[in-house]
Order: sequence, then structure tokens, then C-alpha cells
Amino acid sequence: MALPRPLRMSISPPELELIASEHLIEIVPLIAMEKTAFISGAYGPLRPPNKCRIPLWMATNLKLKKKCHIVSPDWLSVDFLQERLSEETSQQGFSRLPFRFAETAKVVLDVASDDVQDAEKIRSLLKDLREARQAKSRDGLSQLDHSELSLPNLCSMEINEIRPFFTQAMDVFTQLARQPDADNP
Amino acid sequence: MDNDYFSIDAILAENQKIQCTFKVDVPDMGHLGGGSDRDIKALTKVPIPIWLAYIVLYSDWADFNIPAPFGPRVRNALKAEPRSVKLSALVGAGGLWYGFGKMIMDILSEEQANGMSEVLTQTFRGRLTEVIDQAQHFATLGPAGGASSDAAQFREGLDVTERELFSLVQDSAKRTKLWFEGNDRARR
Amino acid sequence: MPLGAPPLFQEDEQETPLQQLIRYWTNERHAPDILPTEEDLLSRLLDHIRSQSETVQLLRSDPSSSEEEHFRIMLAQTEVERVKFVVRSYLRIRLFKIEKFARYIMTNPEVQQRLSESEVDHARRFARLTDQHFYHSVLQSLPESQQTLDDQPPFVPSMVTEPDKTRAVFAHARQNCPPVRLPDGTALKMQKGHISLTPYSVVEQLVTRGEVELV
Repeated sequence: MALPRPLRMSISPPELELIASEHLIEIVPLIAMEKTAFISGAYGPLRPPNKCRIPLWMATNLKLKKKCHIVSPDWLSVDFLQERLSEETSQQGFSRLPFRFAETAKVVLDVASDDVQDAEKIRSLLKDLREARQAKSRDGLSQLDHSELSLPNLCSMEINEIRPFFTQAMDVFTQLARQPDADNP
Repeated sequence: MDNDYFSIDAILAENQKIQCTFKVDVPDMGHLGGGSDRDIKALTKVPIPIWLAYIVLYSDWADFNIPAPFGPRVRNALKAEPRSVKLSALVGAGGLWYGFGKMIMDILSEEQANGMSEVLTQTFRGRLTEVIDQAQHFATLGPAGGASSDAAQFREGLDVTERELFSLVQDSAKRTKLWFEGNDRARR
Repeated sequence: MPLGAPPLFQEDEQETPLQQLIRYWTNERHAPDILPTEEDLLSRLLDHIRSQSETVQLLRSDPSSSEEEHFRIMLAQTEVERVKFVVRSYLRIRLFKIEKFARYIMTNPEVQQRLSESEVDHARRFARLTDQHFYHSVLQSLPESQQTLDDQPPFVPSMVTEPDKTRAVFAHARQNCPPVRLPDGTALKMQKGHISLTPYSVVEQLVTRGEVELV
């Protein structure tokens, strides 16, 4: 078969990480490099200690070789996440976070926790956020039908986790519903 | 519950039998009822698998009753508390209560079909959250954890559609957890 | 949407060809139907991979390369591998659908237009292969009237497997979208950034026009 079963109707977390790693992030380079043309665009020049924006995968690569510091994104901070967490617990909808925040945060914390202020506190805030938001998507289940469910601000990794059973459950509702087939040509 | 010609599940689901009351004599077909009679006489009740029932009913050779798994007793129990009914006990282990119901729904008259759709939909909705909750609970605890007897009873009563959902939840939770907890970057 | 939403988190400026391909790749992964092929984009990226690999080869064969050079080579190579992964994965999901729906594709000229020439060719050969296999292993022993593989018998699904467009997908609006009709009869008007779980048939047109992406 051209594609293994779990990949046929979904995307794996490592694949999502790969997608998120295309996004640009700021670094402080520790090596110099001329502006260079890559497939996704031209990056550089790197001139320590001037900041520069490069794709996250590239930053990861350099960081692991100790050739840069990663500048933690504004939202990856105790203040910001704390605020979102209290919003999460006081308001009904999902609070607004970068669409690929889970992937980005994990990559940055995995490779550059020394560049992130209060990394431990941030880890635990991210975990609390994840749990608060999971509880909300569970509530969404009770509103599921054969038609539509709005999930504003739900993020990439969260969608991916609930996808298999949310889509399957909606498919069951569709099968059980009585209605003329709307898309007959 | 996919609707594919080559779907084994769909083929097996059509083996469920429904009670048909013949309106006409059908010579030489007595073996369908499993008995030793040569012919099927009018007004005889014969349990017939769904795949065969379609054409029998469509040709107006017989009527059928809504099968017991969807009869008034079950409906009342479901109305009172959808989570208390063992769907698997109604259709047998490995049985598709929803799939069977959907097939019945498709051969019923408009009004009855609407009622059937409502029963099926309400039941599915009434049990869905519990199915997902338990699956997530188990994904975090492993099979040893949380052996409350109510929960175990509910799990035993899941029909195949719900069982599929249950394992989808578990697989997904595992995949995601593995990613969240893994960190092999330093070694790359 | 919360009131006074904060300024957007640094959105990446313009979609690069690679980001485009990533979007088409994820759309393809989630859509039950086979989407129009992105042959031009793909061949441009393949050209890019080729020239980038050649540059890398050239630099590597130079024994006097500096440390800086060394990093550039390493990064360029890493990116080539990443892009190759996306390209392969994109082709594989299409290949999977092409094999699954081979008969359907071969009986629908409209669907064939969504495929590249080599994909149509593959569908044709795959359909023929399975037909022959069915014929030799089973059908030839049946009466002639029962040897067909494209029956549309009553009460039974068609023998030709078609994409099930009622399957649910997560749709993300890339811009404000015109209203679409939902299965329950109401209308849905997706604003930019909105996310909905809904049957694929609802957003099919929006996906084709690029107004919505599947996430």
C-alpha cells in the first residue's frame, strides 16, 4: 500500500512538527554566514551579535551545534501564558494562541531551554493550558451533530489529537441522520 | 459503518435477521425459515437476513416488524438512560447496533424512519461523551487503572461502532503523548 | 473571537512555494476526494531540489571549504531532505487515493483532469491489473452475466468505490469566505481564521478555490 493506515486520514505529530519548523524565529548567531539562498527563501547574512530571522528547523540545527541562541517568541513567556491560562479558566471559548504553539514551544524548549527564561515554569503552564483546553474540546463533543461544529482558536496539535474520533463521530451522526443527500449532482 | 461494496463489516452486518411475515405463498422456499416445510405459506413468520429481506420487502411479498433491539422496551430504556443499555447484548458480541438500525431505517416508511433516526441519534449522542471519557481515562491509566464496576459494565455494552471510537481515542492519545514526552533531538 | 484580539502573532509574510506545497499536502491528506494535481508547483520545487543538491555536491568536493561553508552545506542538505520528504509524502497520499479509486477515476473524465498524465496512466494500469486479477481468480468461473465489476445493484453500494464526500474535516478559513450551506439547512459564513468541523462536501468548493485549508 502506498500509505500506512494511520497516515491515511490524519497527520502524525512529527509531521506537524516538521510543518511548524518552517516558520521563522529570531536567533542571535554565534557564527557568521553570508546571505544564502535556500529552497524556502534567502536567509542571512548572519553577523554576530545581530539578530536574524531564520526557519525554526535551521535555528534548531545551529543551536544543537552551539552556533546560535534562540530568541524565545514573545508568547513563550510566563506572563503571556499565565494570562491565557486565566482566560482559559474564566471564559468559555478557547483563548487565542499561535496556531502551532504546541509544536513550536516543544521544539524551542527541547533544544534551547537555556535560552528561555523560566523554562520550567513555562513547561508547567503549557501543561496546565493543555489540560484546560482539553476539557473544553471534550465539552464540544456534546454539541457534535451531522452538520457543523465551530472550534475557533483550537490549535494544530489539539485538532490533530481529537481528529480521529471527532471526525468519526460526526460521520456516524451523518449516517444516522434522515435527510435527502444534499450534494447529488 | 462505511458504505463500500467490498467492506467486510458491511457484509457481515447484513447477516442480521429480521422477522418477516409473508403475504403470499412462496413455493419451494421453506428452507429459508430453517424448518422442514417445503413451501412458505402466507402469514408465516420467517426470520430473514437483511440482504435478502430488501428484495422480499421491495417486491411486497412480506411485511416486517421492527426487530426487538429497536422495539418499545429498548426504546423506553434508552429514553430513561441511554448509558444503562447494553447495546452489545442486543445484537450479540461483534454486533453493529447502529449499523443494523441504519439498515432498518432505510427500509422503513418516512415517518417510522424519522423516529428510528431520532432513537439512534439520541442514543449515540447520549453515550458519546462517556465512551470518549472512558477511553481517555484508560489511555492515561493503562488497563489496570480505574476498575469501577459501572464503567466496566458500560464498556462491555458498547456496540462495534462505539468500540471503534474507543480505540481511536486511545491510539490518538498514545501517539500524542509519545510526541509530547519524547525528545530525541539531542542525539540527532 | 475574543474582544480586542491581540495583534497577530508574527504571521509569515508571503506563502513561499514550499509553504504552498505543504498546504496542498495537508489538504490532500485530509480530503476524502482526490484534489487537483499541483504539477507545476511540484516540478518547480523538484528543479530547485536538483539545483540545490548540485550546489552542495560542488561545495563538498572543494577541500578548502571553510567552517562557514561547512555550515551552509549542512543546512542546505538538511533542507533538501525536508523538502524531499514533503514531496514524497504528497505523492504517496495521491498514489494511495489513485489506487483506491482507480475504477472510479477511469470512468470519470472530470476526475482524470485533476490528475497528472502519469497519475492517470498509473490509475489505468492499476485498474486493469486488479480487474485481471479478479477475473482470473474468481470471475471467469461465474456465468457471463455476473462477470462485471461495475454493477449498480439496488440496495447495495455500487461496485465502484467512490470518495465519500460526507466525511468530516477540520476547515480553517484563510480569508473571509462566502456563505456555504450546511447539512442542517442553515448557512455558515466563515470569517478569516475560523475553524469548523464539517462534512467535506460543505467546504469542497472553498478548498478548491484556496479560501479554506484543511488542518
